[in-house]
Amino acid sequence: MNDRECSRIFENELVKCSRCGSCRSICPVSLAENAENATPRSKVRMIEAVLEGELALTPGVQARFDKCLLCKACKANCGGGVATDELILGSRINLVKRNGLNPVKRLAFTSLRYRKLFDLGLKLGAAFQGLIFKDLPDGSGKVARIPLPAAGLNLRRVVPNLTTSPLRTRLPAVNKAKTPETKGRVVFFTGCTLNYMYPQAGEAVVNILTGNGYEVIIPPEQCCCGTPAFTSGDAATGRVLAEQNVRAIGAYKYDHVVTACSSCGAALLAEYGRLLEGSPLLEDWRQLSGKVLDIAQFVVRHCDMTKFGSLPLKITYHDACHLVRGMKVSAEPREIFRAIPGLEYAEMKDADRCCGAGGTFSAVYYELSRKINDWKLDNAEATGMDYVVAGCSACRMHITDGLSQRSSKMKVLHTAEVVAMAYEAGRKG
Amino acid sequence: MLTSSVISELKAIVGSGYVLTDQEDLIIYSNDATVFNHLPAAVVQPANRDEVAAVVKVAAARNIPVTPRGAGTCLSGGAVPLKGGIVLDLARLNKIRTLDAARKIVVAEAGVVTFEITSQAAKLGLLYPPDPSSLKESTIGGNVAECAGGPKGVKYGITRNFVLGLEAVLPDGTIVETGNAVDGDMCGPDWTMLITGSEGTMAIVTAVTLRLVPMPETKKTMLATFDRLENAAKTVSVTMGAGIIPTTLELMDNLSIVAVEKAVRIGLPVEAAGLLLIEVDGVPSTVEENARRVSEICRECGAMEVKIAQSAAEAEDLWVARRAVAKAFGQIAPCKFAEDSTVPRSLIPLLVDKCLEIQKKYDLPMVIVGHAGDGSMHPTIMFDKRDKDAVARAEKALDEVHIVTLELGGTLSGEHGIGSAKAPYLRAEMGPVGYKLGQDVKAALDPQGIMNPGKMFNYEGALH
Ligand SMILES: Cc1cc2nc3c(=O)[nH]c(=O)nc-3n(C[C@H](O)[C@H](O)[C@H](O)COP(=O)(O)OP(=O)(O)OC[C@H]3O[C@@H](n4cnc5c(N)ncnc54)[C@H](O)[C@@H]3O)c2cc1C
Repeated sequence: MNDRECSRIFENELVKCSRCGSCRSICPVSLAENAENATPRSKVRMIEAVLEGELALTPGVQARFDKCLLCKACKANCGGGVATDELILGSRINLVKRNGLNPVKRLAFTSLRYRKLFDLGLKLGAAFQGLIFKDLPDGSGKVARIPLPAAGLNLRRVVPNLTTSPLRTRLPAVNKAKTPETKGRVVFFTGCTLNYMYPQAGEAVVNILTGNGYEVIIPPEQCCCGTPAFTSGDAATGRVLAEQNVRAIGAYKYDHVVTACSSCGAALLAEYGRLLEGSPLLEDWRQLSGKVLDIAQFVVRHCDMTKFGSLPLKITYHDACHLVRGMKVSAEPREIFRAIPGLEYAEMKDADRCCGAGGTFSAVYYELSRKINDWKLDNAEATGMDYVVAGCSACRMHITDGLSQRSSKMKVLHTAEVVAMAYEAGRKG
Repeated sequence: MLTSSVISELKAIVGSGYVLTDQEDLIIYSNDATVFNHLPAAVVQPANRDEVAAVVKVAAARNIPVTPRGAGTCLSGGAVPLKGGIVLDLARLNKIRTLDAARKIVVAEAGVVTFEITSQAAKLGLLYPPDPSSLKESTIGGNVAECAGGPKGVKYGITRNFVLGLEAVLPDGTIVETGNAVDGDMCGPDWTMLITGSEGTMAIVTAVTLRLVPMPETKKTMLATFDRLENAAKTVSVTMGAGIIPTTLELMDNLSIVAVEKAVRIGLPVEAAGLLLIEVDGVPSTVEENARRVSEICRECGAMEVKIAQSAAEAEDLWVARRAVAKAFGQIAPCKFAEDSTVPRSLIPLLVDKCLEIQKKYDLPMVIVGHAGDGSMHPTIMFDKRDKDAVARAEKALDEVHIVTLELGGTLSGEHGIGSAKAPYLRAEMGPVGYKLGQDVKAALDPQGIMNPGKMFNYEGALH
């Protein structure tokens, strides 16, 4: 976003804020902090003061703008329809231009730009994780041996095992349909968390697609979608990554682009428009954007849900922010669960409230994000179900961490894993 | 500016993390839900009554203005620190001390969000009726200070009808307890009611004892449309006259119906002059009977159509229009003056007519919704604050709405308070003697004038 566009957005949005404060009861951060200076309204107020010359873009403003999960709940509930998320993103970009990026983030985003470096970093990480982390007895993940606050690695925090064989090294670039006839071609944008942390969920996606007659392309040149960078205000890195992905996907002929990570999906679907303003690749992105579907949408629209076998799981569902408000996907997963015989489903209270992960938010404000996560877990546990299902691996990571902290028996699954299991059950009859 | 020694004293009382002096925070706490701003010198966030008292003592010793603040949803500028000094943020006083189902009372600290009280009471089968639309954000302290009301006011009353007692810190830092948890207590004048509605100008409320009532067993929701607004108003009067007191009697005028229909497309009759959303509650047999009679009355009074919800889901459908109002208004223009003019019920059509005239005269969109049961109407004037000419016209229109309301024998504030926004009209409303009495009482309680200065009886601008 350039400066002119930025100030236009600012002006149009600021004027809509009536300061009513209704966002106080919606914003998870405001609720957890119980203070005006954590509200969305206060952020609008700060921008207004900056534009009126009463306030400079100080590190103090930056710190307050960083305290936002970008869950979009304030925008969705705002009577005046203030696009707070855009205001916050735009401000972060300007703040980063002025004050620079937090050094840890700077390092991380530089390696994101160089996919091979990032791959290597995470693979080395996988090999050496034993030095820094110790395994939890149940094999569900690891906790840090030494506190690494800069990386958000609190001693308590449980992170999933980094896999030594990422999804994209397990599977070929082209995966043939498992049916006699091929219905179409799907590009699978894996995203980082599925690739490096939850490859089994990525495999589930591929199995669903190939089983339903689609050829699946996993472009090897795809890289991080850029969300962690541009949501932190590093628009330059965001743009480099966006261009790389548009090129990587555009190298193939396809009917659909499927994502199984809500942040990647929302980025490809919508956020790239802003990042690619003025880029020669903008038009290519527009074509691509019209074909993006989350895996749950894809299943409902293009897969045979009559082939689900009986799956006696007891589940509840958590709406990832970028899925429910970013991609407007919330009915589809529920429709899928209703279609699976034998599956018991219970809705949790405030299913669409943020789990507190918020990408790099949980790294910087770990204790705060834990508090927000605890509400989610209380609501999930209150359903009496055995599994929390979510369509986002970042949520999964954070919820798994929380569940293990409280020694809960609940487990987390990706929607795609549930669907793949239901098909598996169907095949076995 | 506060000297560094004052700041250290304040920090010693509440802890250093709870005295905010960063420019960013001063700006954030410079306003409430109005367009007014004024920077405080510091924001102080005490954790309990004794810290509140200690902070006020420091302020009193040095003549520092103190502006109490709950959730900052005030619509009359009450929480704006007009004279700088300390914004006293009461959000941390957020414990419910007692919830007694047998005695049907709740004792809550001032910073408890009202909805928390409503939900905790509901778990015990009890109802805390006052339901301002800011219920989920505003604090009980703020509600008491503003004497907030809501749709349920018609049947149950507003905040003051539920306050049994208060714990408050006076402007010299002493602590007073007024009233008690027994309804019949009446020794001398009612200090509880003096502080209730005083908008933080006489004392800082630290805890509130509230009366609860049994939860009604069931309710029934209806929606009636009218081709003439008079008929809607008549329906309200006839219903109440027949001894039926609905819990909700929400009125929308034609312009708001059109605006809502445009925003949400739910098939509202855009040709209707007005619409009434009516809800009756109680024991099932009475509720059925009352709903039937209310729908009869609607028809007798000339309703074009009456819908009665047959299920909870249908009831929700009928509420959609009313709930969509805020969103719909946002689509007409980004800014608004949401007024709060209360007139005798029978004069509602007249008020609406006058408002339509004002709207034409100043050429600004204006819509009217409100709680028809108690005549509390919200004429809302819309504009874009970047258009300076529109702002000037909106201010003039607002002034005329106030005058018209007073001329109709109404009151300027059914529920949003006086603060600084409506202070210019307060003398006109109370009469010179009443106003003088108010000034004297204020001076007796707060001789230094440090408590929320510049508001209500201490307003310094021109009076009407
Ligand atoms: C969207 C919206 C809808 C609203 N709907 C309604 C409605 O339906 N009915 C209605 O009546 N009002 C309504 N209001 C107005 C407002 O919500 C109420 O006046 C509410 O009671 C204010 O509570 P608060 O906690 O936000 O107080 P604040 O705004 O923080 O303060 C309000 C006033 O009370 C004083 N004060 C606050 N706490 C204390 C305390 N503990 N002791 C002494 N003084 C104190 C402040 O100094 C200020 O003068 C609405 C406001 C908004 C923005």
